[in-house]
Amino acid sequence: MLRHLRLYLHFLRFSFSRAMEFRLDFFFRVVMDAAFYAVQIAFFGVIYRHTVLLGGWNHDQALVFVCGFFLIDALHMTVFANNLWWLPIFVNKGDLDYYLVRPVSPLFFLSLRDFAANSFLNLLLAGALLAWSLLRLPQHLEPGAILLYLALLVNGAFLYYLVHLAFLIPVFWLHSARGLGDAFYTLEKYAEKPDRIYSGWLRRLLVSVMPFSLIASFPAGLLLEGLQVKVLLHVLGVTALAFLVVRAFFRLALRTYSSASS
Amino acid sequence: MRRAFSLYGHAASVEARKAMSYRADFWINVVLTFFAQLGVMWFLWKAIFAASGQITLGGWDLPGILRYTILVILAGKLVRGPEMASGLSQDIYDGGLSRYLLYPVSYWAFKYAQHVGSLVPSAAQFLLFFLLAPLLPGSVGAFHLQLPHLLMGVLALVLANLLYWLLQLPLQAVAFWADNVWSLSVLLRFISGLLGGAMLPLDLFPEKARAVLELLPFATLFDLPVNALLGRMEAGQWARGMALGMGWCLLLFLASRRLWRAGERGYTGVGI
Repeated sequence: MLRHLRLYLHFLRFSFSRAMEFRLDFFFRVVMDAAFYAVQIAFFGVIYRHTVLLGGWNHDQALVFVCGFFLIDALHMTVFANNLWWLPIFVNKGDLDYYLVRPVSPLFFLSLRDFAANSFLNLLLAGALLAWSLLRLPQHLEPGAILLYLALLVNGAFLYYLVHLAFLIPVFWLHSARGLGDAFYTLEKYAEKPDRIYSGWLRRLLVSVMPFSLIASFPAGLLLEGLQVKVLLHVLGVTALAFLVVRAFFRLALRTYSSASS
Repeated sequence: MRRAFSLYGHAASVEARKAMSYRADFWINVVLTFFAQLGVMWFLWKAIFAASGQITLGGWDLPGILRYTILVILAGKLVRGPEMASGLSQDIYDGGLSRYLLYPVSYWAFKYAQHVGSLVPSAAQFLLFFLLAPLLPGSVGAFHLQLPHLLMGVLALVLANLLYWLLQLPLQAVAFWADNVWSLSVLLRFISGLLGGAMLPLDLFPEKARAVLELLPFATLFDLPVNALLGRMEAGQWARGMALGMGWCLLLFLASRRLWRAGERGYTGVGI
C-alpha cells in the first residue's frame, strides 16, 4: 500500500512538471472545462424558465446536483481520464507489455499513471461552484450531511471510472474502442440529469447494471432529501460490486492479450 | 479541374470505406448512441412538460419537441462529422502537412473531401431512422415531410456541414503554435451545442438572447436545418438564415486563410 502511494506521488510530480512545459495547452484545458460548466448551468437555467420543478427538484437544488456532477467530472478528468484514453492505444500497439512486466498491479499503473495536472485547476473551479451552489440553497444543511455528500461524490467519481473502464475493456477483443467509447460518452448523459425523470425498466437499469444515476443524482438526493440508510447502502454496494466485476473483466481481457498488434 | 474533382471524389470514397470498415463500431454508433441520446432527451422533455403543466413551451408541444430532438440528433452527426476526422492539426504535429504542400491540389479541398467521405455512416443512419420514424409511439414519428421543406432542409444541412468545418479551421490552425488543440474542438462542440440549438430549441431562450443567437454562426448549424426540415420556417426566414450562414462561411474562410498562411511561414516540416 505504502509502495503504491509512493509511486503515485512520483506520478504527480512528473505530471505537474510535464503540464508546466505546455502552458498554452494548460490554458486551453481550463477554458474548455469552464465552458462545459457554463453550458450546463445555462442549459438548466433555460429549462427552469419553463418549469418550477424537474425530477422533484427546484432550480437551486438542481444546481447543487449539477455542480456535484462537475466535481465528479473534474476528479475523473484529473485522475483517470488521460489514462483511460491511452488504454486502447496501448492494447492495439502492444505497449501494454511494459505495464504487465512491472512489479505493481497493471490496473493500478494503467489507471493512475497520468495525473492530468492541467485539469487540476478545474477541480478547484468545480469545488468553488459546488460551494456557491450550496451557499445559495435556502434550506439548512448539517455539516455532517455535507461531508457525507462530498464523500459520496468521490465515490461517484470512482464509479464513473469503473463504468468508463468497463466500456473500454472490450478493445481487447474488438480492436477498436471508438464505438463503445462513443457509446459511453452518450450514456454518460444519463448521469447529468436528475434520476427521478427516468421511469420503468430504464430507471432500474440506471440504478443497477449501468449505475449512471448513482454517480451524482443519488448523492444529491441524499443531501437534499435527508439520509436514507437503504439508499446509501445501495450506492456503496453497487460501487463495490462494480469494482469486483470490472477487475475480473480486466483480468479476463488480459488473458486474451497477445502483445503487439493484438 | 475535372482531374482535381476526380481526386477529391476518390479521397472521399477511400474515407467512406475506412469509416465503414469497423462494422461493430458502426452498428454500436448507429443504434446504441442514437437510442441512448434520444432516450435521455425523451425522458427529460416528458418530465419538463409534466412538471410545468403546460401543453406548449416556447411554441413547441411534446411530440413536436421530440421530433425536433430526433432530427437534431441525426442532423447533428451530419453537421459535425466524426471528431477530428480531417486531422489537420495532426498533419501539423507529425509533419505530414509537408507532402500536401507539394501536391498540385488544394490541401483544404482535399481534407474537406475526406471529411465528406467520413459522413457516410451518419448519412446511412439518418436515412435508416427516418424510414423507421413512423414506428415511434404516439404522433412523434409523424414528420409529414414536404418536398420544399426537404429541399430547404438538405441545402441547410450542406451549408451547416461546411460552416462547422470552417469553424474548426482557425482552431486547427492554432496547432502551428500550440501542442494540443483537441480541447479547442471540444470547446466548439460545447458552445455550438447550446447556442446552435443542438441541446434544446432556441425558441426556449429568452427573447433578447434569441435575437443575439440568430446573428451568431451557431444557429445555422442546427436550428436552421432542423426547423427547415420540420416545415417551421417561411421561405424568407430560411433565405435570411442561409445568407447569414454563407456570410459566416466567407468570413471564416478568409480569417482561416490568413491564420494558416501565418502558421505555414513558421512551419518547419518536421513536426512538433
